[in-house]
Amino acid sequence: MTDNQIPAELVMTGIAKVYGTNRAIDDISATVPAGQVTVIVGPSGAGKTTLLRIICGLDAPTSGQVHFDGAPIDGVPDGLAMVFQDYSRSLFPWLRVEANVGFPLRRIDKKLRRSRVMEALEAVGLAGKEHLYPWEMSGGMQQRVAIARALACHPRLLVMDEPYASVDAQTRAELEDLLLTIQATMKITVLVVTHDIDESVYLADNIIVLSKAPSRVSEEIPVRLARPRDQITTKEDAEFIRLRAHVLRLLRNIPEAPTGAGSLAAKVTA
Amino acid sequence: MSVLTRAAQPGVSASDLPRRSRLIGRRVVLSAIVPILILLVWWLGSLSPTKGLFIASPLATVVRTFQDFLGGNASHLFLGTVAWQDLLPSLWRATVGFWLALVVGVVVGTALGVKPVVAALFQPLVHLGRSLPTPALLGVFFLLFGTGDWPKVLLIAFGVIWPILFNTIDGVQGIGTGRAHVAEVFKLRRRDVLFRILLPGAAPKIFAGARVALSLSLIMMIISELQKSRNGLGYLLVATQRNFDYPGFWSVLLVLALIGIILNIIIVRIERRVLAWHQGATSQHD
Repeated sequence: MTDNQIPAELVMTGIAKVYGTNRAIDDISATVPAGQVTVIVGPSGAGKTTLLRIICGLDAPTSGQVHFDGAPIDGVPDGLAMVFQDYSRSLFPWLRVEANVGFPLRRIDKKLRRSRVMEALEAVGLAGKEHLYPWEMSGGMQQRVAIARALACHPRLLVMDEPYASVDAQTRAELEDLLLTIQATMKITVLVVTHDIDESVYLADNIIVLSKAPSRVSEEIPVRLARPRDQITTKEDAEFIRLRAHVLRLLRNIPEAPTGAGSLAAKVTA
Repeated sequence: MSVLTRAAQPGVSASDLPRRSRLIGRRVVLSAIVPILILLVWWLGSLSPTKGLFIASPLATVVRTFQDFLGGNASHLFLGTVAWQDLLPSLWRATVGFWLALVVGVVVGTALGVKPVVAALFQPLVHLGRSLPTPALLGVFFLLFGTGDWPKVLLIAFGVIWPILFNTIDGVQGIGTGRAHVAEVFKLRRRDVLFRILLPGAAPKIFAGARVALSLSLIMMIISELQKSRNGLGYLLVATQRNFDYPGFWSVLLVLALIGIILNIIIVRIERRVLAWHQGATSQHD
């Protein structure tokens, strides 16, 4: 699966988007480093969806530019694949799993297509399920199909728009770990948009925190938690707890708490 | 042990079987009551000294239907003369009219559904065409297309196209932004978007429209043959009444009822096969 699948780097410079008099995005500059997991997190209404459409080349920014591996993008870049939030709307109920996953590969030779589909299904743990219809599966399995469809394209950048927003908490944890495993084996660049703070810290190598609209980058936070990550041990790590509090403060616009008992005492006396 | 587990499964144990067949038997009896009552009223009507002149008895009607429509020999495929002279030409016109409406309705409906500008442009025309009662146009169609098969076929097509057209527009527009985004991001060719996303997605709606159109096409078939016709079931309805041939008249009604029932069975079968995914997908959300 690694044939010419070198991870791509994405650079946003001074992106702004204005709809009439409404300034949705004020000024966003950030980098999505190659071969890493970057998570964009922001309060609701922060223009995350708008930003995603610009990154995917579906909308042009009012000003600024996006570079995909050094080249300015104009239309959807080759090597970009996407997983959408709502699997029930993004999968085709009239096609079986195999045809759904192979759908974007229509121009590829049939035999090669089938092998790539099977490979992708294997990667998301759905080997042997290719003959089912999406509606015969649970929500979590359907979102795995959507991930497999993106993987079958052999993406160099995998973009996920709130991919786990419509599944239950336990399935969500499973799918987070699945994503990390896939990313570790395939070394692709992954960009996830989410509003879930725990998820952002758990998945990310870098977190880009957006402010409220008109959005700007509040902070780019490197996450240095050890990999492979684990739902229990990573999430009880002091660093994880510190980071999630830090991100939450940024989102809610609360100033950083003073650290250590001394400063607490100072606060009490004050 | 095995006896116990088997008995625990519903619908498998031996004592269950008679109860099940009793249930089926009760449904058969229940569904037979109303048709038997109708036959009884029909038969009583035919006995009436005044009304009976115009109402052929059920038995006479069935006998007449067999004679007229099934009386032929092997060289006529066992179909009677009336079947050849009137039934088949009628069905031919209805079939051509229906398929014409289906093709034009789906093509135009897709175009109108995809392009809002085209839809706005043709909206007044479409609403005008839909609100005109088609039978009123019978004379116009004869004037425009002569007195052969064409005015009848075109009238049928014109009369039945509307449910197909509106359902196709609705179906194509209801595809949703989610699937449109998939098409954009995966850079599908326009042809693939049309044939692999839009039309399959709109298929349940198109089917619903086609079903309405099919039963409408029988109505339009009869209406188109009431005037300026030399054959067809509609013509036969008028001709038998004029000749006071009431068994003949009632046998045409019987045949029309049978055609309606058969067509409905066929379309339900096709729908179950073609749209199995739709039934599965909608029952998932119930």
